[in-house]
Amino acid sequence: MSQTITRMEYNQEGFDAFLQARKEPQWLQSLRQNAWQTFSEGRWPNQKDEEWMRTDIRLFKLNKFNSATETGQPLPNAVLSAGVELAGSCSSMDGVTLHHHLDPEWAEKGVVFGSLSELANQHSDLIEKYLFQKAVDPNFDRFSALHAAFWSSGVFLYVPRGVVIDKPLHSIAGMSDGGSDFAHTLVILEDGAEATLLSESASPDVNAGGMHCGAVELIVGNDAHLRYVNLQDWGQGVWHFANQKALVGRDSSLQWTVGALGSRLSKVNQHVSLTGEGGNCQVNGVMFTENKQHLSYHTLQQHEQPHCTSDFLYKAALQDSSRTVWRGMIQVDEGAQKTDGYQRNDNLLLSRAARADSIPGLEIEADDVRCTHGSTSGKVDEELIFYARSRGFSRKEAIQMIVTGFFQQVFDRVTIESVREALGLAIARRVRDYE
Amino acid sequence: MSDFQLACPADEVPEGGMQLVELDERLVILFHVDGQYYCLDDVCTHDGGPLSDGELLGCEIACPRHGAKFDVRNGEALTMPATQATAAHEVKLDGGNIYVKINDD
Repeated sequence: MSQTITRMEYNQEGFDAFLQARKEPQWLQSLRQNAWQTFSEGRWPNQKDEEWMRTDIRLFKLNKFNSATETGQPLPNAVLSAGVELAGSCSSMDGVTLHHHLDPEWAEKGVVFGSLSELANQHSDLIEKYLFQKAVDPNFDRFSALHAAFWSSGVFLYVPRGVVIDKPLHSIAGMSDGGSDFAHTLVILEDGAEATLLSESASPDVNAGGMHCGAVELIVGNDAHLRYVNLQDWGQGVWHFANQKALVGRDSSLQWTVGALGSRLSKVNQHVSLTGEGGNCQVNGVMFTENKQHLSYHTLQQHEQPHCTSDFLYKAALQDSSRTVWRGMIQVDEGAQKTDGYQRNDNLLLSRAARADSIPGLEIEADDVRCTHGSTSGKVDEELIFYARSRGFSRKEAIQMIVTGFFQQVFDRVTIESVREALGLAIARRVRDYE
Repeated sequence: MSDFQLACPADEVPEGGMQLVELDERLVILFHVDGQYYCLDDVCTHDGGPLSDGELLGCEIACPRHGAKFDVRNGEALTMPATQATAAHEVKLDGGNIYVKINDD
């Protein structure tokens, strides 16, 4: 069946048409208008800005992309939900919601889950209280303002006080070649709640282009526990920009697993604030790059209160002439005594032309803390390859084993089997033979 | 290996000057030195910054960030902190236009 798809450019006319086509509460329209104003008055970051000095976006041209009201493209296959019994699921393609479903068992307990766009009217008061209010700042940079003006579809999860969801929820955002995606993820766990959200993004093929300009907001109340998985597997022509922030309350925990595999260029800001005493956050990052991919991850683990722990581990393997930039910061606020903060970034260079920049940092304003960081970069040990080959393995099999072993440390921390398998398979598929 | 493609009219690159152009989703710099045209990637191999903001002195372009110098004729790194050459591309002049063959190696 043919469909009429309205496409709107990211300019004043396109924004007006976008706003008019959406039947949204007044507060949300105002929020979008303010963000559009910020975007219109702002400038794109450039390599003279400290944060962007290693990431060149001069070839990014916003006018190559537009916003669609409908999509006729098929959704890429999901990998995180394979063989997993789910409490709910939702999907979108090119920023258009395709479906969302929550098991009635959880809806009866007050859980809300589905497309943020679809739920913005139904749960207006709840969403207004959190959307761009506590975590992500729509005025942070021009990309965050553009996202706040044009976000669509996305995921909303609300778990009321004391409700423990014992099955994962799943979301997938697809993007067709040359399309755009402005998905926004908003997760709210009230005190004593628990949930697991598996979130993935994908293109129809490995060379597909497009643009993702997104945001993630995770708000974890007191004594609450969230496991969040974010697998980014866009095509290698996609520009990926994201601002992500989590707030972790008193005696709560957040386990955040990141799989960064796709995109032509990624610039991601990942910020976790430990806002309540005794909060804990573990971040597990897996990055694999090839060809001319450029993935730049900037992490910030902010200790606002005492007796909190944070543990960030990012491991990256790079082949061809790809490049990663990892810039991590542990920030300990005054009064956040007894902090235990750790950050580590390991890089495995599979070719001579690959390059990994690793810049860990500390900013400590309290005087009774334990904060450590580390970074390693190296290539595959030829002796290991020689040993494996002497045992009958090909060079490629040997490298695959070594790469898998390199990532094992982070896989061991991931407690969800389908996630471990999906990441392991995706990486093994990509590893090539190098002399 | 790609074919020669039109970069820009030759008169847009004055003698002793340079011009940034986009070819094949790649940013390259055209140089005009001593009557000859040359082309390099707009990348300092030290930290990946753009060379096109740097100063051209004779056959040398200096990275504005840390002062690494490159030979515009072949991309060779001439001074620390750069140690690796930046990609150089073949150039030809035809009908008043500059054509560049991108070196993908």
